[in-house]
Amino acid sequence: MEDTKLNSNKKPGAPNYWLSLEQWRQDPEFIEKTKNEFSQSPLSNVETESGWARREFLKLMGASLALTTFGCVRRPAQKIVPYVNRPEEVVPGIANYYSSTMIEGHETFGLVVKTREGRPIKIEGNPDHPDNQGGLSASAHAALLSLYDPDRLVEPKRNILNKNKTNADMISTTYEKIDEAVSKAVKKGSVAVVTQGQKTSASKQFFRDFTRATKSQLFFIDSVDETTVKRGQRASYGKSVFPRYQIQKARLIVSVGADFLGTYVTPVSFSKQFSKRRNPDGDMNKLISFESVLSLTGANADERFQVKPTQKLTAVMAILSDLIIKKGRTSYSADRRVVRALKSFDEAIKALHLPEGAISRITDELWSNRGKSLVLSGGMQSKTSKALELQVATNFLNSVLGNDGKTIDYSQASQRGFDGGAENVNKLVSAINSGKIKTLIVQGTNLAYFLPETSGFKEAIKKLDLIVYLGDRNDETGRISDYIVPDHHQFETWGDSEGLSGVYAIQQPTIRPLYKTRAFQESLMKWANLSGMGPNRFKEESWYKYLQEHWKYNIWSKNRSVSFASQSFDDFWYELLQKGVFDTSRTKRSRSTGARNFNISQFSKISPSEEHKWELALYQKSILKDGALANMAWLQELPDPVTKLVWDNYVCISVQDAQAQHIKEGQVLNLKVGSTSVSIPAHIQPGQKSGVLALAVGYGRKGAGKVADGIGVNAYQLAQYNANEVAYSGLPVEFSSTSDYVELVTPQGHHSMEGRQIAIEATHDQYKHNKEANIHRHKIFSLWDKHEYKGHKWGMSIDLNTCNGCSACVVACQAENNIPVVGKKYVMEGRIMQWIRVDRYYSGDPNDPSILNMPITCHHCDNAPCETVCPVAATTHSDEGLNTMTYNRCVGTRYCGNNCPYKVRRFNWFNYTKDIKKPLNMALNPEVTVRVRGVMEKCSFCEPRIKSAKEKAKQDGRALKDGDILTACQQSCPADAIVFGDMNDPNSKLSQMFSEKRTYSLLEELNAVPALKYQTKIRNTDKLKTENSKKDQGGH
Amino acid sequence: MIKREPLVLGNKSLKDVTEDICEVVERPPGKAFLAALFSAKMLFIFYIIVWGCIVAKGIGLMGINSPVGWGTAIITFVFWIGIGHAGTLISAVLFLFRQKWRTSIARTAEAMTVFAVMTAGVFPLLHTGRPWLAYWLLPYPNQRGPLWVNFRSPLLWDVFAVSTYATVSIVFWYIGMVPDLATIRDRAKNKIRKTVYGALSLGWRGTATQWNHFEMVYMLLAGLATPLVLSVHSIVSFDFAVANLPGWHTTIFPPYFVAGAIFSGFGMVVTLMVIIREVLPKFKSYITMNHMENMNKIIMTTGLLVGYAYGSEFFVAWYSGSEYEVYAFTNRAFGPYWWSYWTMITCNVFIPQLFWFKKIRTSIPAMFVISIFVNIGMWFERFVIVVTSLHRDFLPSSWGMFKFTFFDLGVIFGSFGMFFFLFLLYTRVFPAISIAEVKPVLGVGRKDETHG
Repeated sequence: MEDTKLNSNKKPGAPNYWLSLEQWRQDPEFIEKTKNEFSQSPLSNVETESGWARREFLKLMGASLALTTFGCVRRPAQKIVPYVNRPEEVVPGIANYYSSTMIEGHETFGLVVKTREGRPIKIEGNPDHPDNQGGLSASAHAALLSLYDPDRLVEPKRNILNKNKTNADMISTTYEKIDEAVSKAVKKGSVAVVTQGQKTSASKQFFRDFTRATKSQLFFIDSVDETTVKRGQRASYGKSVFPRYQIQKARLIVSVGADFLGTYVTPVSFSKQFSKRRNPDGDMNKLISFESVLSLTGANADERFQVKPTQKLTAVMAILSDLIIKKGRTSYSADRRVVRALKSFDEAIKALHLPEGAISRITDELWSNRGKSLVLSGGMQSKTSKALELQVATNFLNSVLGNDGKTIDYSQASQRGFDGGAENVNKLVSAINSGKIKTLIVQGTNLAYFLPETSGFKEAIKKLDLIVYLGDRNDETGRISDYIVPDHHQFETWGDSEGLSGVYAIQQPTIRPLYKTRAFQESLMKWANLSGMGPNRFKEESWYKYLQEHWKYNIWSKNRSVSFASQSFDDFWYELLQKGVFDTSRTKRSRSTGARNFNISQFSKISPSEEHKWELALYQKSILKDGALANMAWLQELPDPVTKLVWDNYVCISVQDAQAQHIKEGQVLNLKVGSTSVSIPAHIQPGQKSGVLALAVGYGRKGAGKVADGIGVNAYQLAQYNANEVAYSGLPVEFSSTSDYVELVTPQGHHSMEGRQIAIEATHDQYKHNKEANIHRHKIFSLWDKHEYKGHKWGMSIDLNTCNGCSACVVACQAENNIPVVGKKYVMEGRIMQWIRVDRYYSGDPNDPSILNMPITCHHCDNAPCETVCPVAATTHSDEGLNTMTYNRCVGTRYCGNNCPYKVRRFNWFNYTKDIKKPLNMALNPEVTVRVRGVMEKCSFCEPRIKSAKEKAKQDGRALKDGDILTACQQSCPADAIVFGDMNDPNSKLSQMFSEKRTYSLLEELNAVPALKYQTKIRNTDKLKTENSKKDQGGH
Repeated sequence: MIKREPLVLGNKSLKDVTEDICEVVERPPGKAFLAALFSAKMLFIFYIIVWGCIVAKGIGLMGINSPVGWGTAIITFVFWIGIGHAGTLISAVLFLFRQKWRTSIARTAEAMTVFAVMTAGVFPLLHTGRPWLAYWLLPYPNQRGPLWVNFRSPLLWDVFAVSTYATVSIVFWYIGMVPDLATIRDRAKNKIRKTVYGALSLGWRGTATQWNHFEMVYMLLAGLATPLVLSVHSIVSFDFAVANLPGWHTTIFPPYFVAGAIFSGFGMVVTLMVIIREVLPKFKSYITMNHMENMNKIIMTTGLLVGYAYGSEFFVAWYSGSEYEVYAFTNRAFGPYWWSYWTMITCNVFIPQLFWFKKIRTSIPAMFVISIFVNIGMWFERFVIVVTSLHRDFLPSSWGMFKFTFFDLGVIFGSFGMFFFLFLLYTRVFPAISIAEVKPVLGVGRKDETHG
């Protein structure tokens, strides 16, 4: 406007600018036009009086309004910021490793968390942690996935609850509102805090501080009650302790239902110890198992006997009876109380129907291994109503055998925790019912999921005024809670662990909280402070400070003489964060202590239990355990180590029962225990005790997330709470079959070796006689020269003797190599993507089979059948013996997959990577290419790890040495069965393994010359179960 | 002296021959033809949509998996490639052997070859995971490295074998058609027709020199095409024989595949000829019962050959002493896919033996039904080879099953849409019987030996 007047009103001397000729000419029409700021309205042409103009105007306005709002939305500002102020320790492209720790169920792991650009992408075991010694379980690996679980709550929520406390609607809320409401309730009193049994002194102290200050009650409740061992110890020896079982010290282990390789207490630690004694050239241990349901432990036992859950006590009594009464080995044979208790089992012992002379043989072996044997019992599938008696009898047997204080450590470094027993449930419920509790704060334990009707919890909560859940999702407990205050994930917050007493480990946050979550400790601190009752230690409202103080005054100052604690606390703390573990009991642990006095009066009270025609055993699967991580797709798609089924919950029934009852695989059965019934498909399980039905817990989740919801039934419902006891096993069950079928899905197509030489086993005697026992070697003649490998020649060895089939390697590989999960439907269609698989073969009598596990991954053959047939040379041989895949080059003819005799190649049938939901993509390992649709993929022997180890060695100016490279599967293996290394290095661990006489190549006769070789499984037994049906094996 | 059967019935004059054959091209199509073409076209469109879905979403829509990495696509590819063989055999091999009876069926048989190879060619391209990169199978100087192909791979041999076969077949077929196209040009009454056929006939004037050259080229091409009859299916069989899978890794595959291909090809020629005889009744004079009977005899013979091959496979499996081989063959006959094996045996070995009876050999309905059985049987032969070998190989843990999906069935049936659509168009656009070759043999076996 102003500038049109330039010509007329220009300042003297100002340059004469003009915009158009009209302007320059000072055209009057133009000047007139410029007076109107806006150009002429199109409406002026329309007859204004007609009334249409207004409509037209409105139309145009409406349209332009719509256009402006829809079409002219500002593009979202996407700021890019250069990495000017780069955090010192973060180098893009270089991984950072933080030591940490994790408590999963009753298991403690020392961890090393691998982060890239500030996000954790893989967790590995901390080799310095004495508990897991670098090993990690499948479920521990999946904890990484739970950090990026799309079903986590991202902000605090409030549930609008109806009268029955079932979730009606969930709305967002703020921390301020929650803090106000909860602190008010805390002020009022009648508060109870429920959490799982705490394993560390810091967290125990923290809860005590809170409850003491706010005068509230504290309850420890675990999903699976494992307190029986502790109570058994108290009854037998007078002191409540969970002893440390020293598997590595035992030559002979008798496990009565304790699945210590799969689910019992600390399977990873036990597997480490067990496998160390599996060396057939050394003093090889022997494992005898009595169990009802085929477990990992039973599958790996040298001798396995089947008993019903209620007969486990009888089995222990049978051994004792043979030892004491029949053989009169100890002075107890004169003790009338002992004899009477044992005699009362005579009938029951006969009903065991064990093979002739089996018990006598076991007692002889036990007796000759006095002080070097170990009898274990416990675990969920042994937790019958007589579980405590079973513990007492087991303790007695261990005492008789002189194992107490030798293979059982009760004083130097016992297991921590195990406080969340069923009696606490009873206390909580009766406190609520009596009106003493009005506000319930639940942390980290999913009460509403695992407490069945019989516990009375579900009725009791209706009397509560307020339930606050410090969880991470709107799960079963979330749905009955008024407020859900989302807790940090364990990788986002501080913490510590003390699995064995004196073994302290620190948990560091490895990523900033992804969402608007708050550490539960800080929530509790805030509520205590707001209600005006906060103790001094809560003043700063920082959990980090609290934890640090605790370490300073309770751990560091009390152990100044141990290892690196002699320095100042700040230096100690710094070193602690680096090392991750502070082991104060290292020197003490190996010391043996004297035996304790056994309290006979407890033993004499033992009486035989009633046997039921059909007994139900609830059990934990070694993968999903108590179901807390059910939403992790890695675990759901991981074939169960025993059944090899995925994505489903099923009731296992023995082969002979299925035949007698005409039950087919997948047929839906109705199970009824007491007044509760469930419908569940049947799985016919070889090796299961007849008369036993077995159902795994951990399924039937509601609100756990998209993955877990709707799979299986909640087996916890069938647990029987009775006053202070809970029974998971030996439950009298009725069942009826229906005409419905559910297809149970397994990626393993066939379960017999068909007499082929695949997984080879031999007895220890056979091995001592001939180290190549049962291996049929082939004379191979080739026209061609062999490949030459001048530098490294990578190879892998898998010892079938130590491998127990736990499948941790599969998940480790999945995490390392960005392997997608495909879902039940596609597993059924044969499209599972896992690069390493664990084949499980049965052999011998289906009612009492022998189990062989065989991990199979790419064999990296020298004469690889896949390489020759690829028309585009997408799979080629490296000069270090690797069979490499060039994904970019692959056009997807799948010929390589067809020609692979080991069938280890996996094809991208669809674009799986594109379907990865946010934020799960953050878990991807940037070092491993994600694969596009239509290309083949397979194990690379962790090629990126080889490369980075080489680079590191080069940087350090040294040669690559044996052990620099650990493949993901090897690193995770709790049994140290996998060895990776250089075949050209005669001193490498791999070369040593390969030089063992029991090494063989799978399908050697094809002359593919694989770089992966196996060692025979050696069973410490007289006779292989397969021997009768074995005539066609090994020769042709 | 035994009198020869006349090759052309009905005492046709030279003019009659031209009239009869050109008429089909020159007159507007009948309702039956239009209906057939429309159905074929719909099926063809359906086929395109099915493949479209597969290319868009992923090959995972089909029933293949691990361990059965190849399925319907490869089976149907081998099936169609096999079909093609009879065409080349009739047009080239029988030509070199001076089998005059071939003249009236050679053109159509060769057309069948061309279309069958075209139909087959779709499969190996689209069965790959990333079909848009399938051109990487061609060795040509490129800027991708340059990356070269792997000459050790039988799939690459396949690329050459099939593309050579397709090229030679098309050239042979087209060259043979040039004089006839010129005849249609000469008879053309409108300009478009004259121009189009004029261009197609490549300036054929019918001079002695041209005839001389033509005969020479035709003979040379026949000579080139003849080894292809043996080589193409031998190489296709290498896809299997070179692999180490029990059930695939056998030396009998090349001859066995060639015999099977000729067998199935003749089956398809019989099917098509029966249809042509019915749709174009005038052609009955040219495609006589004698032709049909001859072809049926070949079907019977090759049926016996494949039967022998099936038997010897079992013998070799047993004789090898390899447990994997023995299992693979036992599994074929008595495993979960026993039905496919016995379908194959019934259709390929037993049913064609009905042709021992002259009555059946010369009955149009009987031979039509049997020829279809032969084609079903031969499809199942490839199913048996591909699927039953793959689904249970060395390690029992990786055994699996193959299940057809909608998309599998879609491409099987849809491919017939493509084939018949092309074939029906051909019968209207090109002279379906070689005018130039029939005329010289008009006299054969005729009572008045005036012609020829």
